[in-house]
Amino acid sequence: MPRESYQAQLAAMQEDVLYMSEVVIDRLRLALEAMAQKDEDAATEVIDGDDEVNDLYLELEQDCIDLLALQQPVAGDLRLIASSFKIITDLERVGDLAVNLGEHTLDSRHDMFPEVDIHAIGDLTVEMLEDAMAAYEARDDEACYDIAARDDELDRLCERASQTVVRDLIETELDADDSEEEVEALMQDVSRMLLTVRDLERVGDHAVNIAARTLYMVENDEELIY
Amino acid sequence: MSQMETQTTTGETEEQIRDEWLEYDFEGESALSVEDLDVFYGNDQALQSISMDVPEKSVTALIGPSGCGKSTFLRCLNRMNDRIDAARVEGTVEFDGENIYDDDVNLVELRKRIGMVFQSPNPFPKSIRENISYGPRKHGDIDTGLVARLLGRDDRDEEEELVERCLRGAALWDEVHDRLDDNALGLSGGQQQRLCIARALAVSPDVLLMDEPASALDPIATSKIEDLVEELAEEYTVVIVTHNMQQAARISDQTAVFLTGGELVEYGDTDQIFENPQSQRVEDYITGKFG
Repeated sequence: MPRESYQAQLAAMQEDVLYMSEVVIDRLRLALEAMAQKDEDAATEVIDGDDEVNDLYLELEQDCIDLLALQQPVAGDLRLIASSFKIITDLERVGDLAVNLGEHTLDSRHDMFPEVDIHAIGDLTVEMLEDAMAAYEARDDEACYDIAARDDELDRLCERASQTVVRDLIETELDADDSEEEVEALMQDVSRMLLTVRDLERVGDHAVNIAARTLYMVENDEELIY
Repeated sequence: MSQMETQTTTGETEEQIRDEWLEYDFEGESALSVEDLDVFYGNDQALQSISMDVPEKSVTALIGPSGCGKSTFLRCLNRMNDRIDAARVEGTVEFDGENIYDDDVNLVELRKRIGMVFQSPNPFPKSIRENISYGPRKHGDIDTGLVARLLGRDDRDEEEELVERCLRGAALWDEVHDRLDDNALGLSGGQQQRLCIARALAVSPDVLLMDEPASALDPIATSKIEDLVEELAEEYTVVIVTHNMQQAARISDQTAVFLTGGELVEYGDTDQIFENPQSQRVEDYITGKFG
């Protein structure tokens, strides 16, 4: 096959995107475990590890730019590079959201809102992200639609969780002798939990973005992008 | 096995061309309508049943690997293949309501209206001015000879105007207006090629056929030709053969892909061909996986 070195560069770039996704998904999983176990060391590891994700992102971005500038890709090759370029941005953002989760864990005082199953929501986002990257690797267009459909379920779970937190807040009866600090701490717990739910919902959005770009890459179909 | 493929005698699968890959819907009129065009060189078939409409006032790029028949096809559009004894052309090319292969077609008139620019610049060994005015003089459109002058029919002003208009049209005027009587062979390669384009414009063509017009030029001269081609398409119909796929992508409105064996495999909007070709063979060709 002509242009063997170019084809090898394309394959290597795709391998590297998959490697970056493994690193990011590991960080997300660790952040969720840290949250479940109240493990401050694990949460700190997630936060400190973000530099590695950023470095990978910048390196891959440069690889994509080099391929565009030096090889003038067209057709399927162009869609692979354009999609990968967008997907690494989504992965980098998921890395940032994992850092947010780590920070929430360090800031939280105790197990608040036990009736909110934040871990089920977290597991669903990890699963969506893994499946989106598997679709990218296997060029599986059917799986892309499936991931987009699962995001509706995630959104429902997140909305229900947020409502539970707000209802809990409304129903909380404050005693007159509660200190100002107590009230302030409660407010922070509520806002931290709402932010956690929102961050996980965004991880799902990034998984859908990855699926949308994968569908474009495989089928030149922009349906999920818009 | 999908319906796109058939089994060959060697057991390999071969992609079959689908009609929809060649159905190109465009707005506006056709300048040229090609129908079932076959070309044979002796016993070898160089083009197989090519049918396509070329939209007027636009740039149509013909791409494909060496030997695929794209230059042969271009030369069919103003009957340049008539000059090759062994060449036999079947089918029709309709231009301005007439089949150019009809017996009563005036070839001089046809090639005046469908001009050609070749790969290597080939100006006449004459002055820049004479390169432009040679065609119109031969066609009798301008007359600056001694007899005309004596009879008061001297078209010298008209010639000046024509030379300036054509050189401006070919984006060459600013570079040569103060040396119109210099020999054209003293110009750079890129300037010579633009002079050849100006020369083609001098006989007021409708269509310009270009056979790799920039392949012998450096990048700056190439970019000037590319800019010029895009400008020309506002007034003329341009059909260009190029080996440079990025050039086809940059300057053409629609692209026709010929592949080995003289087949037209896919024809459509240039962005569609380069972003999402329908044929796997076209995809493999334009991404450099074969060819």
